[in-house]
Amino acid sequence: MIELRGLTKSFGANTVLNGIDLDVKRGESLVVIGGSGTGKSVLLKCILGLIDPDSGTIRIDSQDVTRIPRQALLSRFGMLFQGGALFDSLPVWQNVAFRQLKGRMPRAIAKAHAIETLARVGLPARTADLYPAELSGGMQKRAALARAIAAQPEVIFFDEPTAGLDPIMAGVINDLIREAVTDLGATAITITHDMTTVRTVADRITLLHGGLLRWVGAVADLDQSGDAYVDQFIHGRSQGPITALR
Amino acid sequence: MILVSPLARLGHWALGLLAGIGRFSTFTLDAISHGIRPPFHGREIALAFLQIGWLSLPVVGLTALFTGGALALQIYAGGNRFGAEAVVPQIVAIGMVRELGPVLVGLMIAARVTSSIAAEIATMKVTEQIDALVTLSTDPMKYLVLPRVLAGLLCVPALVAVGDIIGVMGGWLVATERLGFVSAPYLRNTINFLEPLDIVSSLTKGAVFGFLATLMGCWFGLNSGRGAMGVGRATKGAVVAAAVAILAANLILTEAFFSA
Repeated sequence: MIELRGLTKSFGANTVLNGIDLDVKRGESLVVIGGSGTGKSVLLKCILGLIDPDSGTIRIDSQDVTRIPRQALLSRFGMLFQGGALFDSLPVWQNVAFRQLKGRMPRAIAKAHAIETLARVGLPARTADLYPAELSGGMQKRAALARAIAAQPEVIFFDEPTAGLDPIMAGVINDLIREAVTDLGATAITITHDMTTVRTVADRITLLHGGLLRWVGAVADLDQSGDAYVDQFIHGRSQGPITALR
Repeated sequence: MILVSPLARLGHWALGLLAGIGRFSTFTLDAISHGIRPPFHGREIALAFLQIGWLSLPVVGLTALFTGGALALQIYAGGNRFGAEAVVPQIVAIGMVRELGPVLVGLMIAARVTSSIAAEIATMKVTEQIDALVTLSTDPMKYLVLPRVLAGLLCVPALVAVGDIIGVMGGWLVATERLGFVSAPYLRNTINFLEPLDIVSSLTKGAVFGFLATLMGCWFGLNSGRGAMGVGRATKGAVVAAAVAILAANLILTEAFFSA
């Protein structure tokens, strides 16, 4: 469904993507792991058109994204941002129903739909009229997840979905993501450092390091990848081919 | 090498400046073009009119009131040196309507509205809310920039009109209560002295200043750097740029309207 070929992106002298080739099948949940600053978010933002790649092609259902009208392309995507990125000037229900309200859905129906979606991610109806700043970090993440899945997108991107959450809340969010992806039958790409997220959410995993995808494989093969980079990353070792500043 | 290095830096700076002017010009044209291309976000436009127009009334009114009063005192004291105290109503009227009304309202809008727009949009940028808007198939130019610029363009002339009236009345209040002027002749002199061109120039300045103030807020907000420092710099840059642009535009417009 998503095909990347020769994708490159540099910021000044810093090359973060250096010829990425990747295929993600329809309905598959791919997790991209890698250290901080290795270009994982840039990869997602290139696919969404938020950042222009320097070279390479991105195809969705065999169509070059540059030839698909932007609105039509984006209407097929949902995204959960690392910090939630809820609009703090709007109450929670209007965040969740944002796309539907812009699509001229009557407000009462949009609100009912938003409350239903909030319930799917475990948020009570009373949170619908609150503003994002009135929610805890975990509740904001759930509300952002509700917004990402509200329009039942074909493709969902999750950017560090459990960053900053306690382990229990992280587990809840991981389960919700897995459920959402399975229930909707959506294609998902998740980027994370969190190995619990990796094992809960992934069908397939890839490691991004030095601008390249070092390893791609099934979650069942992760512990026997035979790749020194993957081994170092999943075991959190400071010694290995990935240099860590101390 | 010693000679080439400063030249290279100068060239680099000049290229950066030209590129910046080009980007800002494109941004301005893009903002204007969204004004004639649907869809329009009615709720956002109404909110911008409320925030920029209605909620600026108190600060504009108070600024104009105090300035009009002080102007009457100054003109009376200065005119006294030439035995020309009687011109207080005329000079207060022309001073407020042609210059002080639009400029002070413009600067107060730069302080209150430009700073608020820049800080809000910059915060949205650093918290990825702008990216979220795009992924929700919403153009930030249409959703964030157009409502604010439209409100600036249409509300600030109205605020200037209110400021002009309150400023003149501030002068009238001081003149009648402190300087011994008689109310009816004061008001008659004020009205008779003003010409339609004075009012047209005042409102035109208001529209231009409102456009510049809101456009600067949006531009600096959308181009802010990362983190709290980025938001702070964007806000400071927006207010300074808006204030300078307003004062420069005031000179150009005054020259255009009143050069003999």
